[in-house]
Amino acid sequence: MALYATLQVIWWLLLGVLLMGLAVMVGMDMGVGAILRYVGRTDVERRIALNIIGPHWDGNQVWFILGGGAIFAAFPLIYATAFSGFYVVMLLLLWTMIMRPLGFEYRSQLASAAWRNLWDWVFLISGAVPMIVFGAAFGNLFHGVPFHFTWDMTSYYTGSFLGLLNPFAIASGVLSLSLAVMMGGLTVMNGADGALFQRARTLAQLGAGVGIALFALCGIWVHALGGYQLLSAPGQGVPQTPLQQSVAVVQGGWLANYTAHPVLWLMPLAGFAGMAGALLAARAARSHLGWWLGALAWIGVIGTAGAALFPFMLPSSTDPSMSLTLWNSSSSRTTLAWMLGFAVFFVPLILWYTSWAFWVMRGKVTAEQITHDDEHAY
Amino acid sequence: MRTFFYFVLFMIIAVGVIFLAAVLGARGAWYFAWLVGTAMIVLISAAGGALLDTQEEHAIERAAAERDRS
Amino acid sequence: MMINGTVVTLSRIQFASTALYHFLFVPLTLGLSFLLAAIETVYVTTGKPIYKDMARFWGKLLMINFALGVATGLTMEFQFGTNWSFYSGFVGDIFGAPLAIEGLMAFFMESTFIGLMMFGWERLSRGQHLAVTWLVAFGSNLSALWILVANSFMQNPHGAAFDPLTMRMQLTSFQQLIFNPDAQSKFVHTSVAGYVTAAIFVAGVSAYYMLRNRHVELAKRSFRMAALFGVLATIAVITLGDALGFVDARVQPTKLAAMEAVWQSEPAPMPFNLIAFPSQARRENLGAVRVPYLLSLLVTHSLSGTVPGADALERRAVQQIESGIPAVQALKVLARDPGNAAALAEFNAHRKDLGYGFLVQRYAPDLNDVTPAQIDRAARDIMPPVAAVFWSFRVMVALGLLMLAYFVIAVLYTLRNKIHRKSWLLKMSVWMIPVPFIANEAGWLVAELGRQPWTVFDVLPTWMSASTHSVAYMAFSLIGFLVLYTVFIAVEMYLMVRAIKLGPAAHGDPGGPRSPPRPALAPRVAPAAPYGGKLEG
Repeated sequence: MALYATLQVIWWLLLGVLLMGLAVMVGMDMGVGAILRYVGRTDVERRIALNIIGPHWDGNQVWFILGGGAIFAAFPLIYATAFSGFYVVMLLLLWTMIMRPLGFEYRSQLASAAWRNLWDWVFLISGAVPMIVFGAAFGNLFHGVPFHFTWDMTSYYTGSFLGLLNPFAIASGVLSLSLAVMMGGLTVMNGADGALFQRARTLAQLGAGVGIALFALCGIWVHALGGYQLLSAPGQGVPQTPLQQSVAVVQGGWLANYTAHPVLWLMPLAGFAGMAGALLAARAARSHLGWWLGALAWIGVIGTAGAALFPFMLPSSTDPSMSLTLWNSSSSRTTLAWMLGFAVFFVPLILWYTSWAFWVMRGKVTAEQITHDDEHAY
Repeated sequence: MRTFFYFVLFMIIAVGVIFLAAVLGARGAWYFAWLVGTAMIVLISAAGGALLDTQEEHAIERAAAERDRS
Repeated sequence: MMINGTVVTLSRIQFASTALYHFLFVPLTLGLSFLLAAIETVYVTTGKPIYKDMARFWGKLLMINFALGVATGLTMEFQFGTNWSFYSGFVGDIFGAPLAIEGLMAFFMESTFIGLMMFGWERLSRGQHLAVTWLVAFGSNLSALWILVANSFMQNPHGAAFDPLTMRMQLTSFQQLIFNPDAQSKFVHTSVAGYVTAAIFVAGVSAYYMLRNRHVELAKRSFRMAALFGVLATIAVITLGDALGFVDARVQPTKLAAMEAVWQSEPAPMPFNLIAFPSQARRENLGAVRVPYLLSLLVTHSLSGTVPGADALERRAVQQIESGIPAVQALKVLARDPGNAAALAEFNAHRKDLGYGFLVQRYAPDLNDVTPAQIDRAARDIMPPVAAVFWSFRVMVALGLLMLAYFVIAVLYTLRNKIHRKSWLLKMSVWMIPVPFIANEAGWLVAELGRQPWTVFDVLPTWMSASTHSVAYMAFSLIGFLVLYTVFIAVEMYLMVRAIKLGPAAHGDPGGPRSPPRPALAPRVAPAAPYGGKLEG
């Protein structure tokens, strides 16, 4: 069954890659949305900011949809348990997220200032709330989530909505938001000039600075949290249910992987280096370099969390032995193999045509352009 | 050279279509029908649009000819 | 194990209403993207600027619609996990794969290129832009393909088997999943139904302009193209509808019995219920108008074929339930003790009826001594709500035939180039706009209500598929969706009607460059180039 275990690990890594893609690409658009009201003082300025991401937000959002689809396909039990367990939070995420496409398409259709102002608030909410939820969901994984299963794998969530808003989760949520603000600022810098550029520059530095502080804070905090350790399990690459393992909770246990494999410290290092680099690049007005460093920061931050949690994906606080790991929640070998085939073919293709789309639409967006193409611009 | 590239491109597409038809025809005949049918619907509709232009031009010519006669 | 019945009902209402809502926007995108591809193909081959105006105008309406399609599609992707978590865990191994592939193969392509389609007019050559438009069209329809592959697994679970080691369904054959006969005919049926929707929409809006004598040249061309597009698509919809019925007769006999309101089995050739008033409680029709021979002919394509009635299907279900009970009991043993060989043998002997064991668990949760009354009750559950399915089906078919008749007339007049003088036909065209939308919704109802009481046909009953939420949570989310979606549709309708009333002329300043290039790139976008050029008035 070595092949099955390999596939499981590959899909765990691929899911990580998709979440990083989501964080970078969706995070930058949401960052632009979140800072829209502050980076743009006039309507034209705000429209410039929106049109910088205008041709791409739709494609970028598919990273989110793909992330959801990949969890569903590769780790159905995680999808089923997490989405239903985090019910109210998920609704919050969904309701704010579904306003965003409408914001892009509908905001500039009417000239009314009140109408546009309303949608600008929508951009703020639909940028900030999903990013906070995204980070807070990760934060909650370190705490464990109150769920358990019955014999037939019906999951029961026994916590409350407020339980998901614990301090560590909020810190992670704000970390995720600050990274989005940083990326949003850098993206606006890439596509705008003048006052817009300067304000975006300030916000990008602010986002990076807060990000560094919170990432450090979470890193220290995690020593005090109970980490999950697999005591016994049917094994890797063995078809199983989450009812057949035993798990212990040890204080500081989330650092066990780092102690065992010191090379993993490269992940948090990449996170800090990326954020610090992005901050300096923003200060030096080198926004393209800053954007790539910001992407590195996301990779480092998500990689840090993933490396700490491995092999856990959704720890249970009600009954730690029912925690979901990649070994007990993944799809069958056949599904993983087929999906891998599709991913190997299509992910490079997607990266290629996405890059082409960015290349075609490269350059700065100007006020002139917006006023001339009033009817079609966002 | 340009023509040659197009020739190669279209040959690749043609071989691809034959391959697709052979595979889909056996197991997914309706999928294949969709591909062919969609192309047909789109092209007939496009041809219909182009035909309208021709019809209008003819109508204008005919009107002009009648005006000349009178 | 037992999920509150009210929660299940509320979950069903939420799923049905959000899916029906989503399905208001999707078909228009499916069809309008290909109609745009047709329009732009004419533009690129003839070089006439009016076709570019058409492409940009219909493209703008497409975007207004697309935004809501995307937004409400997100809801659907979430909802399997949030509200149907048992279902998602139970069949995610199979059902999740097409959804993920949809993202990889289709939705990424559609969404990336739709941005270029809208914003890339000045940045791409004509050929490139045409290719982008075609890719958007294929992307949106391939999306539909994978979603319907997933849906067809629920209708006809091919290529999967239950694994007692993991307590869930697992994929056994990917080929069987994608070449599922139900998926094939349903995908083509749905996709071309989208073409019909777009054709009626474009024809209706064009007719509105001709009636008001505005943008007549643009409207005439749009109408012509839409009418040809629509007549062919309607023929295809009806053909594939028949193919789908043929498949259903084999794989979902209960759905077919409900669609045709067949309570009692009859010898061939069976009569067709043109109109009937089915009563679920009395298991019969309270009056029906019947056409002799027609049902056998329609459904089995022969005079000697028969369709089993509800009575025969329920008798069969009793046996399946009796065989399903030991399957569930063996599974309970295996959950505690995966190595138990006796339980595994018992399970394997009855595994094909596992779903029927779940079905009766609704009335006998522990399955220890199931009474014949409980079995009968579960057996009666296998029939979907007959009256609703029967009438949805009739509405769909009647509207389909109406649209066929409409398109034939429209094509006749538009080919003679007389359409702009036939005001009765133009008025009718405007009134036809809601028709395909109603037919689409009715079609969804036939397919998904007809699948009841199962989420996965014959495998997983609806009553146990939902998440274990409280009624309060479900009421909260349902109200949230109700408020949000009502606001959305009001805004969408307002903007759509406004964009139509403004019309294409309001779009650019005629004579001026449409949209100046981004300065840094001026050489790429020379306004003097034949395509970047001027609008003809």
